[in-house]
This record gives sequence, structure tokens and C-alpha cells, in this order.
Amino acid sequence: MIERLRRLGWRPGNVRNAAIGEPAADWRQTLTRRVGLAAVFFGLWALGIEARLVNLQVIQHADMVELAQRQQSQTNTLAAKRGDIVDRKGRVLATSVDADTIYAVPSVITDDDGTVRKLCEAFGDCTAKERKDLLERLKPKRHFIYVRRQVALDVAERVRKLNLEGVGTVKESHREYPNHELAAHVLGFVGIDSKGLSGIESAYEKSIRGKDGQVLVQTDAKGHAFSRFERPPTAGATVELTIDSFLQHIAERELRAGVIENHALGGTALVMDPHTGEVLAMANEPTFDPNDYRAADERARRNRAVQDLYEPGSTFKVVTASAAIEERLMPVDTMIDVSGGRMSIGSRVVRDTHDYGVLSFTDVIVKSSNVGAIRIGFKLGTDRLSDYVQKFGFGRPVSPDFPSESPGIVWERTKWTDSALASVSMGYQVGVTPLQMVTAVSTVANGGHYIEPRVLRAVYRNGRRLAVKPKAIRQAISRDTAASMTAIMEQVVERGTATAAKIPGYTIAGKTGTANKLANGRYSSDTYASFVGFVPSVDPVATVLVVLDSPRGPNGHFGGPVSAPIFKRIAEETLRYLRVPPTINPDAPVLVADASRGLTLPAHAVVPEPQLPMEPEEPGTMPDVRGLSARDAVRKLTQFGVRARMHGDGFVTDQDPQPGTQLNDDTVCRLTLARSLTRTVSNTRTQ
Amino acid sequence: MFERRLYYHIDWALLIAIFALCALGVAMIYSTTSDPTRGNSHLYVTQLYAIGIGAVAMVCTLSIDYRTFTDKSHLIYIGLLALLLYVLFLGTVQMGARRWIPLGVFNLQPSEFAKAGVALVLAKYFGETRGMPSWTDLAIAGGLTCLPLALIAKEPDLGTAVTLIPVFLAVAYLAGMQMRILGYMALSLVLIAPVAWKFALKDYQKSRISTFIDPSQDAKGAGYQQIQARITVGSGGLKGKGYMQGTQGQLRFLPVAHNDFIFSVLAEEQGFAGVLVALGLYLFVILRSLEAARLAKDRLGSYLVLGVLASFTFQVVYNITMSAGLAPVKGLTLPLMSYGGSSMIATLAAFGLVLNVRMRRFTN
Repeated sequence: MIERLRRLGWRPGNVRNAAIGEPAADWRQTLTRRVGLAAVFFGLWALGIEARLVNLQVIQHADMVELAQRQQSQTNTLAAKRGDIVDRKGRVLATSVDADTIYAVPSVITDDDGTVRKLCEAFGDCTAKERKDLLERLKPKRHFIYVRRQVALDVAERVRKLNLEGVGTVKESHREYPNHELAAHVLGFVGIDSKGLSGIESAYEKSIRGKDGQVLVQTDAKGHAFSRFERPPTAGATVELTIDSFLQHIAERELRAGVIENHALGGTALVMDPHTGEVLAMANEPTFDPNDYRAADERARRNRAVQDLYEPGSTFKVVTASAAIEERLMPVDTMIDVSGGRMSIGSRVVRDTHDYGVLSFTDVIVKSSNVGAIRIGFKLGTDRLSDYVQKFGFGRPVSPDFPSESPGIVWERTKWTDSALASVSMGYQVGVTPLQMVTAVSTVANGGHYIEPRVLRAVYRNGRRLAVKPKAIRQAISRDTAASMTAIMEQVVERGTATAAKIPGYTIAGKTGTANKLANGRYSSDTYASFVGFVPSVDPVATVLVVLDSPRGPNGHFGGPVSAPIFKRIAEETLRYLRVPPTINPDAPVLVADASRGLTLPAHAVVPEPQLPMEPEEPGTMPDVRGLSARDAVRKLTQFGVRARMHGDGFVTDQDPQPGTQLNDDTVCRLTLARSLTRTVSNTRTQ
Repeated sequence: MFERRLYYHIDWALLIAIFALCALGVAMIYSTTSDPTRGNSHLYVTQLYAIGIGAVAMVCTLSIDYRTFTDKSHLIYIGLLALLLYVLFLGTVQMGARRWIPLGVFNLQPSEFAKAGVALVLAKYFGETRGMPSWTDLAIAGGLTCLPLALIAKEPDLGTAVTLIPVFLAVAYLAGMQMRILGYMALSLVLIAPVAWKFALKDYQKSRISTFIDPSQDAKGAGYQQIQARITVGSGGLKGKGYMQGTQGQLRFLPVAHNDFIFSVLAEEQGFAGVLVALGLYLFVILRSLEAARLAKDRLGSYLVLGVLASFTFQVVYNITMSAGLAPVKGLTLPLMSYGGSSMIATLAAFGLVLNVRMRRFTN
């Protein structure tokens, strides 16, 4: 067949070729030459490919690896759970829970109107504006929008049931403040993106927030994940505050009552442990619910205790007097002429409320004579007074726990005129925060140490408790001076301007203050009515400051009648809560019989030592109440938020759950009590 | 038929190189398909069977004097046409093309054998033509090539069809076709190209060419494979990611990694070093075969070797160039390495012919 085909071919050299036959060398020469050519071509091609590979695999290698990784993996952030904020007893003040957030993928939603209608049915509380807004946001076909963030469980459930195309829910961490307003200003609040926006939440954002984790998901070409590398998030640290929820509650309750009673614009109440600088309670009025911080106006969210300045008025005379005593300017019984009840400084006239004639140094403070305070101030002079103003911590931020704290206003000493010196002596022309004031008075209370005020007590990180140590900054005044000052302040309550602060059974040191409020550059008739004091005056457990802004109620506008009663109510509860025995005429011990021993032993009618709020027990676990009286046991359990159910009477011999057990919200402790402590205890031991 | 002394003239080096490439191919197929979740983890076994059958076929094509084959080439050719016609009407349809004859164990793809068939016919035609091939010779030979080509293209399997052209060109060229004619052909191709672009090419073919020029134009569509090939090769680096550690192929970013893009997978997992080995082996096979053509006893033998080598070389050159991202993506496999039973058997049988020619260079 091939032969036949070949014969079809017309060849010019047919004759010659057919006759002689081609010499073998001829075709072989052509072949060799052309094969050689082909070989060279393939060689060059191989070189070209190699050059290309070197280019891709060596020069562009890094880029290509990156391209490969980018298309094979995607990183997602795993939000860390925010740490809790607890009070000094471990009671939760702020915690994080998962909440559902509803999102939509507009690019897959075809029926915008229907989607919005169904969503709103599920929500049940859509406003017309929200409806329109949502519809508007669905229009541009993007890939992700939030519909509603952090909704209630039932709402999320209803939305999920709808099974709408392009609508889904994801879990987001949501901040809960179970006690609502309690300590709102201290705690601050958290924005929708889990970022602390004020208060402790913001100040310790780094610790509380924790570290976000990452998931690296590797996918194949069709987007199926085939492996996950997870760097789990590190949960935020639990932060323990010096705040005691109970005292905080008392302070807030009494402050609110006081603000309402006196028709005040607002106010602040602070309770501080003078020995450690720990703030036990920090209450502000008006207040807000951090769960719904957006509903509150900015005024209510201000932490007046550290952000707002006021002129302290007569309470500042504590500083003036302490300086005078420390500098041995005059004995405390020196008589000072304040006759006329008025004094001219340049063109200014300063008045007292009464004409006292001649007052002793002590009585200048006790009666709160402005003229007397100015005379003492003049004797001190600018340098010495401003030294003490500084030593008492005024004019600069005092606590590291409040980044938004105001430093206050204290004039530079070179600018102090006579008029300014006179003003400062009686607490004007200085701007202080309530926290600065309560810390300054705590200095007198604890024997002269200026201690840094704190609300942060400890941070729990990786299961370890890192405690904040009380930090004594300086010895502002000597122990003797503090004692003298305390004696004077006791008399303020005993027979001076603050008799309303008296608590039966206890000696109390305090000082009233009434400062006219500066409004538009002029002093108005509105006042800051304040009282600051510490209880008991000897070995005090708490310094308490109450400041009311512009009281206009039935009690007038002076610190004595307005703020001192609020102070009294807070201090009284504090003493009871801390189980401080009366300092005046303590009750005799009650003798009870111990039947088993046949001996007469004194039992404590009152706890002899003030129980400091430093509980050795782990917060959140069952305390040991065995051996306590029924009454003490119940009190102790109450502090831990545990209810008690008692069987028998006398002393606690057994408890269920046992000490150290983890507490729930609704733990009930079953106490077995017996008259005779020893026998039952020994019985338990032999079992 | 098989004289004992011929055994000593077998080109063992070429044989070893060929089977080394086969082994490399099986290893890469195993690497890309071993994932049991994919459900095609048995592919390497099929490939091993194909190599076995191919080896048997090789022994057959090697044992019988190549002149016997060329003498019977017209029968082989006609049988081939018949098979192609059979496929065209009765073959199984896979992936939109009618290419296979089901044979139980695997599907036979007659188009793969067409290459060797056409090589035999053309060798016979030019091998016994005296002198320089004339116009009419070229036309007749061209016709012989175009007949199966058209049938294959009709399946459609344009990739395999195109591999027949180099067979014709190579044999004609080495048979002394004037360079002038080659020039004419190139010229006419340039002239025809725009016309073909307009009328003959299908849209997907057009997009393949246009995206070759700018792959990012359609990064998820037609340009996808080319970009992925580049990324695959590039991310391998000098030393590679390690055997079975390649990500691009394993994760199916690179489509049909065990088939068309096996060279890219090799580049990814074994790096530049591995590529050099494979490239070296291919170059060795090609050059060694060229040498066999040069050493052949007669024109028939030379042309047969060249015809057989032409389609092989064309596929190797094109596939590797494509795998390196330097040519438009075309469904051309890499012979000896890519997965494919028919291709493997046909290729090994073809190399049997090459060895055949070489070892009989001293016999008469």
C-alpha cells in the first residue's frame, strides 16, 4: 500500500535516484547534521527551563511560598474571655458571658423587605427608624453586617428558628455587671468590642482583656478546612478590688438617701482603710448602670471621687492645723483673736459665722473659724503651708488605679499672694478631689503616714495571686502631731460643728467643710457641704468622706447638718460590719459555763480585735465556721453570700459543705450546733 | 527471532533511564493521591500494572525486527484507523470526550497508540523514498498523518491529535525536507492563526491562550492553573518541601496534579534538585534516542526512531515548559511520569522500537 502511495509522488530527481540509488552517506550526512541541530535545540531548551526554575525556585521562592500559604490558610481571631472583677471578698462585680450576636450577609439575601420584616417580628421591639436603617444597610451587597449585637438568648433563638437565608448568629463575649449600679464608677464599663472604656475596666484593660488567640485554618482549593492550628486565647486576669461590696452598698445607699433628702445635685462618699490606703467604698451620685452605660448621660458616668474638683473649705483646715502643730508654731491652747468675726485682706473681707471673740487654737478648728485659720496660715507663711499641702498629696494625681484622675489645682507657691495664702488656709483657692481629701485625712488617722490610695487589691494571673502591697509614700506629719490633730478633730464631733456625726459608744474624729461653689467666676450661694472623719478615733478602721454638691434641702447647706449625718450612718454600719467594739465604756465580758470542764471560762461577748477585712479564706470557697457561735457563724456565712440552716443551738460543731468547698450562688450551709463545744468536737475527732 | 547476541546490544543505559522515570512517576503519583480520603489512592497501583504491561509490550516490540513492523505498517495503520473509528462511535464518554475503549481492568485509549502507528507508516514511506522528499511526498505523508489526527481531534482530544504533527515534521525534516518548506509552513501558520482564532478555536481554547499572556486576567478561571503551576514550582525552592509534604498538589490547588502537572509536583516536593534529576533523565533519553537514530543501520530505522521520539519529545518539552508556567495550559501529559495506562504502554512499546533499531544496527 505504501509502495503504491509512493509511486503517486512526483520526484524531480526520480531518474537519477532510481538509476544509481542514493549513496548511503548522503542521507546519513543530512541526518547527522539535523540530529545534531535537534540535540542543540533540546540542550538550549533544557537550559531555558533550568533558568526559569532557578528564577521561580530560588529568586522568587519566598514570594511563591507566601502566595501558597496565603491561599491555603486563613487566620481567625479567637477573642479572649475578659477576666472577672471581684471585690475584696471575692464577690463578683463584673463578669463575662457569651451572648449571641445576629449578623447578616447582604450579598446572599434576595428579599430585603421580607428579611427585615421577619427579623423585626423576632425582635418584637423594632422602631420604624431601626427598620428603615436595617433595610438601608442590607442594600449594598456586602458580605457582612451586624444586625444586632449581644442580644438576649430567647431573641437569638427566635432568629435561629426563622432559618433566614443569609442571617446567622455568632457568640460574642458580653460584659455583665450583676450588681448593676454597685461600684459602677470604680468598675467603669466595656464597649461593644470588649474594650474597657472607663474605670478599672480601662485602667487594667491589658490584664483584664487577656490575649486573643488565633486559629490558623488550612483549607484545600475548595475551601474545606483540613487542619487547624490553634493558639488558644489566654483568658484575662481576675482583678480583685479593695472595694467591699457590703460597705459599697451602704455608702451608695446612704449617699443616695442623703442626696435626695438634701435636694443635692450629686455627691460622693468614700470609705478608706487609713492604714493601708485601700478604698473600701467609693460611691457617687448620680450613678449609672454599667450594663446599659449608653443610656446614662456623661454626667452620671463621671467618677466624681477622682475626676471632679471641689474647693474643700474648712475640711482643709486639717492641713493648715497639722502644719502649724508639726512646725511647733504654737501650743494647741494658744489663744487666737478672732474678734469681730471678720477680717480684711486687701480689698477682701472674710467672715465667720459667729463672732467668737477669742478662741484657742483647738477651738479655731472645732468652731471652724475662718479668721482663726487665716491667722494660723499667715503665721505659717506661704512656703511652709505649701510644703504641707504637697505632703498631704494635693496638686497631683494620687492613685495609679485611676488614669483619668484629676491632679487637682494648687497654685505655684511663687504666685501666692496674701489673699491666696488666706484662702488656702481655710480651704479655698485649691481644687481637690474627694480621693485626695480622704487620703489626706487618713494620714492623720494612721499616725502621719501618707499612703497611696488604691482600689486594686490583687491580680490573679495563671492561678497565682499577685497582691498589691500598701505603699507608704512619706511620713507627712509626726505621730505626735497626728495624735494632737486627732484630739482636736474628736472635739469637732464632740462639741463643735459636727455633733450630728456622733455615734454612741465610739469616739470619732472629723471635720466639717462648707465651701461656696464657684460658678462663672463668682461664688454662689450653693455649697459643697462635706464631712470627713475617721472611726474610731483611736486605732481607726475607716476614714469616711461625704461631699454633697449644692444641697438645698431642709438641712440647709452646711457640712455639719448635711453631710455629718450621712457620715454617721455610713460609719455606724462600717463599725458594725467590721465588728469594732465600742471604744467608750466597752461592755464587760460575759461569763459562760463550760459544762464539760466544770470550769468557768470567759467567752467573748464581742470579738476583741477588730476583724480586718483581710480574710484568709480563698474567695469563693466555703469558710470555716466550726467553733463559732451561731450568731458569728451566720454573720460570717452572710459575708460570703451563703445562707445558713441551723440545727440545734449553741456553737457550731459541724458544717456541710465542708470548709474550702467551691461556693455557688445559692449555696445553703447546714450547721449542726451543740451547747457543749468540746464534747462534740472531741466526738467528731474520735469518729 | 531474538538472537542471543542481540541481547548484548540492548541499550541498557536508555532502558534504565526510562524505568527510572517510570519509578519517579509512580512515586509522585503515590504522593499526590495517597490521601485515603480522596478515594483514588489506588492510582499508583494501576500505574504499576500499566508499567508491567508496558514492559511486556516493550519486549514484544523489541524482539521482532523493526523491519517486520514497518513491512506490516499499512496493516497496523488500517487497524489503528478502525480502532479510532470504533472509539468515535462506540467508545466510553468521560469528561465530555469519547476517547476510551473499556477493557475491564482499564480503559484503552487508541489515540495513544496512533503516535507509534503513524511513526511506523511515515518511516516506511520516507525510509524507502530515494532522495529529497518532494512536494507530493510531503502531501501524501501529510495526508497519512492527518487522517488519524482528524479522527482523534473529533473525539475531541486536540492535545493528543497535535502530537501527531511533530511525528510528521520530524520524519520529513530529517528525511531532508528543504528548510524552505519548513519556512513556508511557519509562514502559513502565522497567516492562518488569526483566521483560526476567529473561526476554528473554541472559546475555552481562546481563553487558554489569552490567559497565558496575562494569567492574572482570570485568576480563578482559565489563568488559575497557570498561576497555581507557578506557585507550586516556586514554593518548592531549592530542596523542596519533602516527599508527600507538598501542599499545592496535596490540597488540590493544582488540578490533576498526578496527571498533567506531575512535574510541578515534583518541583514542589523535591525542589530544584529533584527537577534537575528528572530533566536530566529526560534529556538523556531524548539525546540517547537521537544517537540511536544516528547510528541506525538504515534510513528506515532512523526515521522510525525519530518518528517515535518526535511525539514523545514534543510532549516532554511542552509539558515541562507548561509546568514551569511558560506555556499555555494544555491537557498534555508528561510521558513516562504522568498517570495514564494507555500512554504508559504506548510509550514503553515505542521505546521498544527505539531499542530495537539500536540493537539491530549491526545485523542484516
